[in-house]
Amino acid sequence: MNFFDILQLAFRNLRQAKLRALLTTMGVVVGVAVIVTMVSFGLGLQQNMLARFGALDLFNEITVFGRSLTNLATAGFDRQTGRTNEGGERRGPRLKPDKNPTRILDDAAIAEIAKIPGVAYIQPTISLYVYTRANGHVRFEPAAGASVPNGSSRFKTFLAGGMISSADADEAVVTDSFTEDFGFENPADAVGQTIEFLAPPTNTNEKSKSEPSQAAEEGPANFFGIPLDEQDTTDASQTDLVARTFRIVGVLDLHLKDGPGQGGMVGLLPGAAIYVPVRAARQWALEHRGPMSQVALALARQSGSLNGSEAEGYDAAVIRVSDPVALTDVRKRLTDLGFGSFSIVDQIEQIKTVFLIIDSALGLLGGISLLVASFGIANTMIMSILERTREIGIMKAIGAEDREIKLIFFFEAAVIGACGGVIGVLAGWGMTALANRLAYRFILKPQGASFIDFFSLPPWLSASAIAFALVVSILAALYPAARAARIDPVRALRHD
Amino acid sequence: MSLLESREVSKLYQMGSTSVTALDNVSLKVNEGEFVAIQGTSGSGKSTLLNIVGGLDHPTSGEVFFNARPLGPFSKREMARYRRYSVGMIFQNFNLIPTMNAQENVGLALAFGGLRGTQRNNKASELLNRVGLADRLTHRPGELSGGEQQRVAIARALANNPKVLLADEPTGNLDSTRAHELLELLRRMASSDALTILMVTHDRELATSFADRIIQMKDGAVVDEG
Repeated sequence: MNFFDILQLAFRNLRQAKLRALLTTMGVVVGVAVIVTMVSFGLGLQQNMLARFGALDLFNEITVFGRSLTNLATAGFDRQTGRTNEGGERRGPRLKPDKNPTRILDDAAIAEIAKIPGVAYIQPTISLYVYTRANGHVRFEPAAGASVPNGSSRFKTFLAGGMISSADADEAVVTDSFTEDFGFENPADAVGQTIEFLAPPTNTNEKSKSEPSQAAEEGPANFFGIPLDEQDTTDASQTDLVARTFRIVGVLDLHLKDGPGQGGMVGLLPGAAIYVPVRAARQWALEHRGPMSQVALALARQSGSLNGSEAEGYDAAVIRVSDPVALTDVRKRLTDLGFGSFSIVDQIEQIKTVFLIIDSALGLLGGISLLVASFGIANTMIMSILERTREIGIMKAIGAEDREIKLIFFFEAAVIGACGGVIGVLAGWGMTALANRLAYRFILKPQGASFIDFFSLPPWLSASAIAFALVVSILAALYPAARAARIDPVRALRHD
Repeated sequence: MSLLESREVSKLYQMGSTSVTALDNVSLKVNEGEFVAIQGTSGSGKSTLLNIVGGLDHPTSGEVFFNARPLGPFSKREMARYRRYSVGMIFQNFNLIPTMNAQENVGLALAFGGLRGTQRNNKASELLNRVGLADRLTHRPGELSGGEQQRVAIARALANNPKVLLADEPTGNLDSTRAHELLELLRRMASSDALTILMVTHDRELATSFADRIIQMKDGAVVDEG
């Protein structure tokens, strides 16, 4: 007997007891549908979350750290402790490098990193607090350098205007909250206006400059790109102040949006209220450094770790990789080059483990219902053996091998498993679609949120659910098939 | 040379603590082309002997030889092959599969023999044609008379061209006219196919009118080898 003969026989036998076959199959359908629904819910949860991260550029960005000025300054004194020292000028989330950097992150290093395969672009992070004057208001605001052009998600949505036109332009992009703070009625009004960065003349007035440095130490104050501690200042002795003027060309839309997971960090670039081209920001930072920074620079020069007129490097830079898969390789190269780095993927790995546990637990629930279905299959098979004892005896009498008798039963179980699996996947898919509609209709829509697919049903899940149903069904038929093969033909033929 | 031989075949059934002797040192020979009837009363062990010769049952002691080969050492698989290709069996109650029509019943045996598709259907029709059921191909056993059912069973038994046909009370459920017709058919087929027939019956009259030789059995033992 070949494959098709046996399959044909199996189908014939199932047709013989249609209702019983149908009910047994229903058990499998329910089991598979539960597995599919449960696991696809877990996967959907994970996918939605990771998609949010992805949209926020958290997966394809790395922060690279060079030796900070503080480190250089204290190089001769506490080298043996080797602890990470907090870069004085760094703001935003305190992202720690995985290892202590041994190299200075200067322009040459930046160029070198840019050549690492997989690096889409690198942008030094320069964050500073400056007294800013615009629209007749003066405020102490966080500012940052931005590469032009810039591929970061941060610079994708503008309320008004657009991105800085070139790397040398005296142009700035500000946040929506900046326009509010500076008294613009609506964001569009700010476009075309000028802002001034204010600083004392080169011989610094120590008292007024110590303040920014302290503020600078309080990094997390603007964690979400929105300054938390505003320092309105009335000080406006404008006469002996130097200023640098930028023209506002764009207002960023950073307002928290509706829906789960939105808002918050966008990429690893530290947030600020004002973005100016990197070069301008760097120049300003070097020309108007705070007293602490001046001390550090002097110490670094003295100890010889920074020679002559050489400027210190950047504290950090943000690298964007072309493909998240390349991230690990790029980080390894950075380590080889002597830089420290940080990537959110370290954290994501842990989150993935949690999701794996959730998915397994959900899958287990489905697995239990399929287990119950497998008892149903075994029961049906045993019943049908009792009914077909004589038929099995006849087949043996006319020359059926035990193997062939077994195969007939395996095929019957496989047909039940495969049909149940396919229908179960379709049912599961239907259930997820229905659940999505209901969630949208009764939960999301009343809140004004947009449609979200809570489930993820990838082809591998459907395929493995069907395969699983098939395997479970065949396992359930193991005992009945062996029992059928053991039937004594003499007794079976006497059987009525 | 004998095609079939049983040598001191005994069969004991264990019934609780007592054992019942169904066959007691049965030795007999059947030559190729012979039509042999085993005649005896019910309980004489003739069906048990037939089942053992047909490879459905094993003797407690003794040995059955087919073509001088002993069946004892056969594996289960070899035994299945023996039943499939070397012997064909028919029974008193026909033992057709009630849910299959005549052609399918014969086709099932052909399927075990490895025939497929149209080849199988053609062979099944041809066999049914030979037993005179050309117009009953798609009838199920329930739609056929007893004689017709037994003829389907004969067609099935001969599907894989066996050398021996084992018949266990083939006319037991038929009236005497049908019984005679059926045994006429068997004789015809036996002579055209050079078939050896071993038939078990309790009917002395039928045995004497059709068999070449009659073996008498009583209480599990051969009393007359004919």
